[in-house]
Amino acid sequence: MHSVLTRGNTVLAYALSVLACLTFACFLSTVFLDYVTNANINTVKVVVKNVPDYSASREKNDLGYLTFNLQADLTHLFNWNVKQLFLYLTAEYKTTNNELNQVVLWDKIILRGENAVLDYKNMNTKYYFWDDGNGLRANENVTLSLSWNIIPNAGLLPNIVATGSHSFKFPSEYTTYRV
Amino acid sequence: MDFFKNIPTHMDYEGQARAEKLSRIIITVFGVVGVIWGYVIQQFSQTVYILGIGFALSLILTIPPWPMYRRKPIKWQPAKDGKELIHQSKDQGSKKGKKK
Repeated sequence: MHSVLTRGNTVLAYALSVLACLTFACFLSTVFLDYVTNANINTVKVVVKNVPDYSASREKNDLGYLTFNLQADLTHLFNWNVKQLFLYLTAEYKTTNNELNQVVLWDKIILRGENAVLDYKNMNTKYYFWDDGNGLRANENVTLSLSWNIIPNAGLLPNIVATGSHSFKFPSEYTTYRV
Repeated sequence: MDFFKNIPTHMDYEGQARAEKLSRIIITVFGVVGVIWGYVIQQFSQTVYILGIGFALSLILTIPPWPMYRRKPIKWQPAKDGKELIHQSKDQGSKKGKKK
């Protein structure tokens, strides 16, 4: 503490240590919180086509097409250790090719302070629902579920699946209409 | 350059101890208040800003050598005359060896 530089160094080092402790306190105050909540998902229109996926090959694969309703209130998930939520809607189903298929159909980022009450009617998916074969037509059990990834100031990056999923079946005929 | 060298930076020993203690207290208090306030309004950024204010305040209060850090200067022994000193050290050198 005998010179200006040593005093500055001491004060800065101590302030940074305190900041680290406070950040850790923030982490501790939120690490045991339960971030699971309910989401209402429904499908409106479900069709399936059989078209070539040129991004992968020239073979014809099943392409699902659906519109969905989504209601969820995520306001209470935000606290001082949540900067944003990354929501994504996944379709999960089983085919003869694969025991488990997971396709992300839609996603959204909700920043802190933005409206976190979701109420979507008849939404289009954001991404293509490609199967890697012909597993979609007449598939009896495709489950849509909403998940979110919490982006914190400090701490873990939990992935949370909402309660409330929706199962639907694809029609047994390919559609030839443009969708 | 001389201008910068002439800026006083000296603190006496007790002043240094007081400066360090004061800076610790200020930063700790602002940190605790900040974390409580941030938790109440659920904004961690406010915690960081409050700690930043405490940091700035403790820089202002402890880096310049304010008069309150210079109240107890060291009392040096009065300087002795140069010639006398040389004689003394010669005398002592012949008897007991060097002694300060």
